[in-house]
Amino acid sequence: MKIQSRDDQTLEVGGILELDASNAARVRDDIRAAITPAHTALEIDLSAITFLDSSGLGALIALHKTLRSQNGTLRLVNPTPSANQIIELTRLHRVFEIVTR
Amino acid sequence: MIPNCNISPQNAFRQNLRLKTACDFAAVREAARFACTWLATQRISAEELAAWEIALVEAGNNAVEHSPQSAQMLPVEFEVSCGEADVEARVSDHTAGFDLPVEIALPDLESEGGRGLFLIQSMTGPLTYLRGRGGNTLVMRRRRDALAQPETPSLLDLQHRLAENEAALTEMSEELSSSYESLVAMFRYSAELGRSTDLRDFARRLLSDLMQLTEADAAILRMLAPDESLELFIALPEGLSTKLSQRCPGIEHCSVEWETVRTREDVWFGDDRPLHELDPLRVIPGMAQGVSHVFGLNDRTMGTISLGRCGSNLPFRSAQINLLHTFIDFLAIQIVNERLLDERTRARVTRRELEIAANIQRSLLPLALADCRPFEIAASCLSAKEVGGDFYDVIRVGDEGLLLVIADVMGKGVPAALFAALLRSTVRSMPTLFSQPAAMLSAVNRVLHGDLSRVDMFITAMVAFLDFSQARILSASAGHCPLLVCVPGESFAREADDSGMPLGIEETTQYAQNMTPFPPGLVALLYTDGLTESRNPAGEMFGSERLAETLTEAAARPSLALAKDGMLARLASFQSDAALSDDQTFILLRHAL
Repeated sequence: MKIQSRDDQTLEVGGILELDASNAARVRDDIRAAITPAHTALEIDLSAITFLDSSGLGALIALHKTLRSQNGTLRLVNPTPSANQIIELTRLHRVFEIVTR
Repeated sequence: MIPNCNISPQNAFRQNLRLKTACDFAAVREAARFACTWLATQRISAEELAAWEIALVEAGNNAVEHSPQSAQMLPVEFEVSCGEADVEARVSDHTAGFDLPVEIALPDLESEGGRGLFLIQSMTGPLTYLRGRGGNTLVMRRRRDALAQPETPSLLDLQHRLAENEAALTEMSEELSSSYESLVAMFRYSAELGRSTDLRDFARRLLSDLMQLTEADAAILRMLAPDESLELFIALPEGLSTKLSQRCPGIEHCSVEWETVRTREDVWFGDDRPLHELDPLRVIPGMAQGVSHVFGLNDRTMGTISLGRCGSNLPFRSAQINLLHTFIDFLAIQIVNERLLDERTRARVTRRELEIAANIQRSLLPLALADCRPFEIAASCLSAKEVGGDFYDVIRVGDEGLLLVIADVMGKGVPAALFAALLRSTVRSMPTLFSQPAAMLSAVNRVLHGDLSRVDMFITAMVAFLDFSQARILSASAGHCPLLVCVPGESFAREADDSGMPLGIEETTQYAQNMTPFPPGLVALLYTDGLTESRNPAGEMFGSERLAETLTEAAARPSLALAKDGMLARLASFQSDAALSDDQTFILLRHAL
């Protein structure tokens, strides 16, 4: 997983291959630690993710809440079809901003 | 890492996978991944696989997440069963359990948890949650998608494939267990071999074990005898031996045992290949079926082994036949080893025996010949190979003369040497007859006859008394070569010959006594047939004529010792490098001028 600031407002996360119960809490905490009060956008690239479960969704929701608390937005970038399926199934596409580039 | 995994066919139509994994998220994730890998081999579509992966992970996560501290050492169990129409998965937990809601709803959108069951149900279908003491099981079931036509195997195909897999698995496990059995048995047998020397006993135990392992009721082991017959070596159960060892003429054409020898292939018999009415194996009561197997080593047929089942139509399985082959190959090696050992031992015993006999023979010969001038004496005894039956003795009889004995015991080795010793003692035990060779021979024959005839042996012998004062030789012969007398340098040799039966043929034989004048200047020869019957490399015999010539020539030499050397040289040059086929013994006598 790679976490970097694109600019003062935007934090980018990439290279997540799996997000499930075994790593969700760690991923969530690592990203949270990188978020500064200046960040208004968190962009998580899900183009390489092969497995996403409800715990992973939980981590994403937690991060979404963190961003919202500082008036920011969580964007999920290019989720894979299987990840998208899970997100839509649980109707979380209504919560997250999903971006296809 | 999957700690505990078991794949088995549940029945002809379902395949089963069971996994036990540690109670933690990573292990559960790994187990789900493994289960999906297995499901992929069951021709599950990619979409179904993805769905099952989520469902299994979610179910496993729940089992881990809600497990109380006290149950965290207990495994989470997965059981996946794949059928023609659906896949069913069970995940067992050790949690306190929960009440499965009739309708599984999504939590509040902002909730960070509580979507697992919803996802499971979405991915599979209606769920069942079985609650029990100490553990609960979530049962998930999903209908299988119809696969694209070209990839869809027919039910028949699947059944066939399943049956094949099942058979392969069964065979593999049988093979494994029989290999293990053989290995254990071989180790045990090898250890036993060090202790036991009885091959038959060893073979009997080996066959008895083989019968148990192959569920056979009878085992018949035959060995190919030197006369090309199949000789019974072992038959089990024991009671069968007598009947099975009988020989029947013409059996080669109708017995399965001979068929396997001829074809060098296993011959199966039973309903579809009944035993011929003359087949010896028919004496086994109730024998329903079996197999005959030819065995040997390095293309050399050694024998046959037959296994039979009585009253059971269940054929021998391939693993059992493999056992049969392994066991019998092992036995064949032992048999060959024992034969080699036998031959080596026999050779060693023979060599030792010959050494002993040679020692006996040497000890019988006089160490030094008597000095009895004007008479001279010289003798030679050459043994063919290590030892023969030739023997001579020279006994000084006071001032009266010399007793000469020359003999050839029929046969070689220790028995011949022993009879030579016996002859020597017997002769020496009759000093009153020393000057009467004929009476001596008759007496000796009476004494030795019993012993000789008991072992079908005989001795040819000549006893001669050199009478100093009368300058004559009194001689008697028991089937022995004649006494030769010659005038040195002259071309004739005279034979004194009136011979009786060899010693040991007839107890009451009376021997005639010959009297040969032995004036100064004459040379006499007592000899065994090894001289006249010696052959040159062309196979030609030395013969009595050549012997007479040789004697005449050699006798002209200045001393008797030189005469002896001359005779030996002539004999040696005649034989050239042909091996000595019989002992060559002779005694030379000279009456000096």
